[in-house]
Amino acid sequence: MNPDLPMIAIRNLKLDARTEHGPAHILRGIDLGFGRGRIVGVVGESGSGKSTLVSCLLRLLPSNIERLEGEILFDGIDLLKLSPSDMNDWRGRKIAMVFQDPMTALNPLFTINTHLRDVLKRRFPQISAREARERSLAMLTKVGISDASARLDAYPHQLSGGMRQRIVIAMALLVEPDLLLADEPTTALDATVEAQIVDLFDQLRQDFSGSIVFISHHLGLVAELCDDLCVMYGGTIVETGPVAEVLARPRHPYTRALLDCEIEDDHGGRLATIPGEVPSATWAMDACIFASRCAHVADICRTGPTALETVAIGHKAACKRSREVLP
Amino acid sequence: MTAFAATRATFARILSGPGGIVGTVIIVLVVGSAIFAPLVVTHDPDALDILNRFSGPSAAHWLGTDNLGRDLYSRLVYGARVAMMVALFAIGSALVVGTLLGMLAASLNARGERLLLIVFDIISSFPSLVLALAVVAVFGPSTALVTAIVAVTLMPHFGRVARAQMLTLRHAPFIEAERLIGASPVRIALSHILPNIAGPLVVLASIDIPVVITIEAGLSFIGLGVRPPLASWGTLIYDGYAYLSDSRVPVIVASAALAIATLGFTLFGEALRDAVDPRLDREGR
Amino acid sequence: MRETLRYVASRLATTFLIVLGAMILLFALSALVPGDPATALLGPAATPEYVQRFIQEMGLDQPWYRRLFSFMANVFVGNLGTDVLSGQPVTQIIANVLPYTFILTFTSIGLAVAFGVPLGCYAATHRGSLLDHLLAFVSVAFIAIPSFVIAIFLLLIFAIWLDWLPVMGAGEAGNWLDQAQRLILPTIALSVGWIGFIARLVRSSMLETMGENFIRLSRAYGLSNRLITYKYALKNACIPTLAVLGMGVGRLLGGAVLVEIVFSRPGLGRLMFDAISTRNFPVLQGTVLVVVLIFVLTNLLVDLSYAAIDPRIRRQGSR
Repeated sequence: MNPDLPMIAIRNLKLDARTEHGPAHILRGIDLGFGRGRIVGVVGESGSGKSTLVSCLLRLLPSNIERLEGEILFDGIDLLKLSPSDMNDWRGRKIAMVFQDPMTALNPLFTINTHLRDVLKRRFPQISAREARERSLAMLTKVGISDASARLDAYPHQLSGGMRQRIVIAMALLVEPDLLLADEPTTALDATVEAQIVDLFDQLRQDFSGSIVFISHHLGLVAELCDDLCVMYGGTIVETGPVAEVLARPRHPYTRALLDCEIEDDHGGRLATIPGEVPSATWAMDACIFASRCAHVADICRTGPTALETVAIGHKAACKRSREVLP
Repeated sequence: MTAFAATRATFARILSGPGGIVGTVIIVLVVGSAIFAPLVVTHDPDALDILNRFSGPSAAHWLGTDNLGRDLYSRLVYGARVAMMVALFAIGSALVVGTLLGMLAASLNARGERLLLIVFDIISSFPSLVLALAVVAVFGPSTALVTAIVAVTLMPHFGRVARAQMLTLRHAPFIEAERLIGASPVRIALSHILPNIAGPLVVLASIDIPVVITIEAGLSFIGLGVRPPLASWGTLIYDGYAYLSDSRVPVIVASAALAIATLGFTLFGEALRDAVDPRLDREGR
Repeated sequence: MRETLRYVASRLATTFLIVLGAMILLFALSALVPGDPATALLGPAATPEYVQRFIQEMGLDQPWYRRLFSFMANVFVGNLGTDVLSGQPVTQIIANVLPYTFILTFTSIGLAVAFGVPLGCYAATHRGSLLDHLLAFVSVAFIAIPSFVIAIFLLLIFAIWLDWLPVMGAGEAGNWLDQAQRLILPTIALSVGWIGFIARLVRSSMLETMGENFIRLSRAYGLSNRLITYKYALKNACIPTLAVLGMGVGRLLGGAVLVEIVFSRPGLGRLMFDAISTRNFPVLQGTVLVVVLIFVLTNLLVDLSYAAIDPRIRRQGSR
């Protein structure tokens, strides 16, 4: 393994889905890389392709996919080239996932113990039922569940949403993955519970050696938790870099606008909105993806798609007028 | 979308699959025969011709004749009329009474609602055919009675659906708005809720049609439904079955007619259900 | 545990209420017999002495609430009255034929489940395969066509035309092979519709379950297809199937009446039919009550096994 290579390197990832109105470009060429032990926050509106991006990493995609191109290198191995059974071997071993809605993520007819035991048995085939239970108990305690023994024998409907999400997180950690995907793990929860779960992620990173991809539409949350930030818009990445750097000096008008929304929101003032609509996924992208909504749009923006360019060390943005309009 | 356009769109969706097309063709034939029976028959369905009994299909008798020499085709056509009448009246009254009771249940207090639901449960706990047997035993067989029994046993279906739909609708924003401007509960129920729950009720009604046809034919088959000489598919099958050793044609023809009719109504009902409520799509998307 | 007990208790109470309601309904029906009940039940040929004795025996001279009470009290001690024609207790008459109906309905349900569930699973996991399409087509036909029509066609084809199987009656007592052979066609007639119905239901609920988030979660953790399909999804898919089975028993019993008549098999259906033809009301009343009881108890059983599978039900209490 080459230590210089990032753990994950996504190169020119394109994904089209079949629709009634022709192919929808869900991902329009994603380039993203990050190393071991990082927490990468992916931010964007719904429909920006962020959830599809994590589905690609797991290769669990809906059946209406027309085209899937590019590379997803995981420690140098292209996941997209693996056979289905080889890919399945990565799931629940090297990659684990936390879903958005904890209320539907657990099968209502099985106890928590069954869920955790089956996942553990798949990861560690030699494990005994007794050891699985012990490990599960320890992990539940670790993710902040009191009275873990009783909870382990409970059915999902007997637990609150926050508790279920802790259990799903415990499940993810039990398989000791190299990559943990968290798809808006707090969106479906109450604000107070959301804060607790974010705290939990923050604590867990001490013992967790793998990387986390944390998807959110909430910039403040990502700022609190993540090392790197990746802003998605219309199936493209418009800006990426270290969190502190991007938030302090956003180099893309969309990131800037998102930040403005967030700030006014926090101060209880009028909720800033970004005028206009996200371009349709079927649009062929013959201009900058953000051109239709950008306050600083100029003729140059309409001459073709805008590529990501390095604006500072480790910081890239896809805006041709970045230097002029965001000094 | 206007009601007319919505209906047209629904029909277009029904006709978009092979099942819907076959079902529609069959029910058009059956309903058409029922309505225009006197025009489409070739013989008087009750005219006897003992010399020509058990004659096979021929140019004079398209499907042959029965044990009394009556024209089978003409009797099948009139049988469609009986089946359709029973279905129409039974389902119609079950629909009206059931919907009203269901809406009443949804608007009553908890105790009244529970009582009505238990009544529904009690009625449903009689298998319809068995209840029909019990009632026929007391009052003697008659078409009107069969219709009434079937209506009673189907009523809880509509009652439950109407109640459930009304409960989910009761707190819909547009209903709340009506209540706020002071519309009376009866007015809200009739002019706002009823049109919104009509869809599932109509689907249920169409799915119940083959069930009713089956019960009518079954009762008539064992001589406890429609009385001879009135032609019903059930009595035709019975006559054919009783004279099986003389000819197999009548029983085959009559059974096939009943099978095709129930199949047609089932196909149509399912196509309608899928067209009205895509969530119930059998493809399970 | 307490949740479970409370659920069972509430279901038992509802069942009891339903049986009580059914009895009142049956009683009301007997009270509604037009004209003088004794002559109506015994027919015009009965002698005046006989009618008089009948009225006293049946307590027809008592006020209605007394009669209702004694009817119920008798039912609860297992006394369904006496057959006016043969003088035998109705309970005995029913007990004689009950096994035949039981065997027929339960082999039919068994056959329906044994074929329907695997077929539905296969169709759901092999969507668009030949068998899936065939099932979609054939199952509608089998569901739609009344079981007594299927019975007639089976009789025509396998007994008359091909002459493969003996039919008519339940077979010689003690001759197991003969009895089994005579069970085949009625069972098939009753169960093909249910095979199609259950297969379709299992298929669609399997497909629905397969789209659930918790199945996506299992996939995301690389659990094997077998484990996901047969452990996680099938259990979820069983719930609607069970619900349908409960309701289905009623239709199955109704269908059994007709199928028994087509094949001249002894059973509750045949008994009811004969009771009606001879205007033997006590026998009919008793038989109907037994059928209702079977139906209600099956539904109770289904609901309880439902609760055993789905932990959420136990908490909700009664429906």
